[in-house]
Amino acid sequence: MSQRKYTIAKIGARTEEFLKRILPLMGVNVRFEITEGEELHPGFENPEIRVKFSGHDVPDLLENKAEVLLALEHLTMEALRIPFEDHSRICFDANDHRMLRIEELRQSAVTAAERVRDSKRPFRFNPMNSRERRIIHLALRDFKEVRSESEGFEPRRNVVIYPEGMPSQPASAPPPMRRGRR
Amino acid sequence: MAATTGMMEVRALIEEIAKALVDIPEEVIVREIQGEQVTVLELKVAPSDLGKVIGKQGRTARSIRTLLGATGMKLNRRFTLEILE
Repeated sequence: MSQRKYTIAKIGARTEEFLKRILPLMGVNVRFEITEGEELHPGFENPEIRVKFSGHDVPDLLENKAEVLLALEHLTMEALRIPFEDHSRICFDANDHRMLRIEELRQSAVTAAERVRDSKRPFRFNPMNSRERRIIHLALRDFKEVRSESEGFEPRRNVVIYPEGMPSQPASAPPPMRRGRR
Repeated sequence: MAATTGMMEVRALIEEIAKALVDIPEEVIVREIQGEQVTVLELKVAPSDLGKVIGKQGRTARSIRTLLGATGMKLNRRFTLEILE
C-alpha cells in the first residue's frame, strides 16, 4: 500500500512516548504493541496503525463500552495532532473488542433494516459516535429497501433507518450553544 | 501515604495530558483543591490553547475526565476537572 499515510516510522515513537507517560500515572497495569496495516474488517475499518493492549488491567480499559480505551485513543490522536478525518486510520484495541463490536453493529444494522422493510416504519438507534454510525451506514449501503441517515447533535447523534421513499422526520431541535463548540 | 502519592499522580496525569495537547506547555498550570469527598483539579492553559484541551463538541475534555474518573476509581476517590477560562 503506497498511499499509506501513517506508519510506525512516522508516529510509533510519539504514540509510545505519550502512552508510557500517561498509563503509569493512571495506575493501570497494561502492555501495548503497535502494529501496522492489518485488515481489521474488510470494507469497514482498515486502520493503518493498530495499538493493541494486553495484560492484567485490560478490563479497566474495556469497562462501560470501552470508554477508557476510546478516551486514550482520542487523546493520543489529539496529542499527535492527527486531524479528525484521519482518526479511523488508527485503532486502539484490546481482546478484539473493536472487531467484535463491528460485527455486533453490522448484525444489529441488518436486523433493524429488515424490521423497517417489513413494518414500513422508521427505526432509531441509540446515540453512537461517528465511527460507529459509519459502520451502520456501510453495513446498509447495498440494502435497497431502506435508507439510513444520521440525525441529532453530538454527542447524542444517532442513526435512523427509513423505509425507501419515506421523507426524513428529524426528532429533535438543536441544543442551545454550549461551551466547547469552537 | 499511598493515598497522598495517588493524589500527586492524578495532578501529574492531568498536567502530562494537557502539556501533550497544547502548543504552549509552559503555560499549563494544574492546581489541586482537596475537599472531603471530592478533589477538584483546576486546569489553566494559555487562552489560545483552550480549544485544544476542550476539543470539538467538548470531546477532548470529556476524554480527559474519563481517564480522571477511571484513575479515581482505583484510588477510591472522586475527582472533578475544572477547565478555567
